[in-house]
Amino acid sequence: MENNPSEELLVARAKEGDHAALSQLVVNYSSRIYHLGLRLSGSRQDAEDILQETFLIMVKKIGQFQGKSSFYTWLYRIAVNVGLHKLKSKPRKYDHISIDDPDFERISSEAASEWPKFDYDVVNDRRFRQKLDRLIEKLPEKYRTVFILRDLHELSTEDTSRILQITPSNAKIRLMRARNFLKEHLENMIKAEVST
Amino acid sequence: MKVNENLIREICEYMGSDLNSAPCKLIREHMEACHNCEVYVNKIKKTIEIYRYADRQEELPDSVSKKLFACLHLDDLTKNCNP
Repeated sequence: MENNPSEELLVARAKEGDHAALSQLVVNYSSRIYHLGLRLSGSRQDAEDILQETFLIMVKKIGQFQGKSSFYTWLYRIAVNVGLHKLKSKPRKYDHISIDDPDFERISSEAASEWPKFDYDVVNDRRFRQKLDRLIEKLPEKYRTVFILRDLHELSTEDTSRILQITPSNAKIRLMRARNFLKEHLENMIKAEVST
Repeated sequence: MKVNENLIREICEYMGSDLNSAPCKLIREHMEACHNCEVYVNKIKKTIEIYRYADRQEELPDSVSKKLFACLHLDDLTKNCNP
């Protein structure tokens, strides 16, 4: 995602209290923030709450936005903080699981086989989507947030590390572990789906 | 073995590195001899694609958008798009 000049103007106008500019910023980002909330919380109701709270804070604090980071980095940071705060107030859905590094020795020594041909229509099936949701929810937040920002929202490593206030190296390690965890489990899900 | 240039580029992008960086050069050298790594990276790519596809199936509901604008006391600009 890149900063664009029209957005800078929009933000400048919004800072002066221009309602049309504020509305446009909400239009531009509401879907992305809703999806972020949905993946963070795993619940539509919580995603709606995260969405509302994020934009309430944005409207209230946009006057304090100094432009040291891009606007979307600032907004995502608010949304992630709101989302993580919400998660803390709820009991965990799943027990803590340990996330390991990929076993590169095994990867390079065992005979590799491609996944069976995957039909994306399967993802439209509610039951399969629920399995996907449950799988990502099993990831501890610190890994899940990096996967969501980097791979689903396509933010850069630098932006992701700024938003989460971690080092870029840490973001890369967390991303590698998250991807590997999801891949391993998805592989089993796909094999089961194809064999039925 | 012929190296898949697109794959190398994507791996480097995933790593946040450019193609000529030292880590990317090492990856290129390794993948010239390792088919398993190519398979592994393809599976990671597929995993990401499947999750992105799933996310695209889920839209922000109109009712949620309307509530948001009402709660912010802002005009719902999306109304203009859907007269």
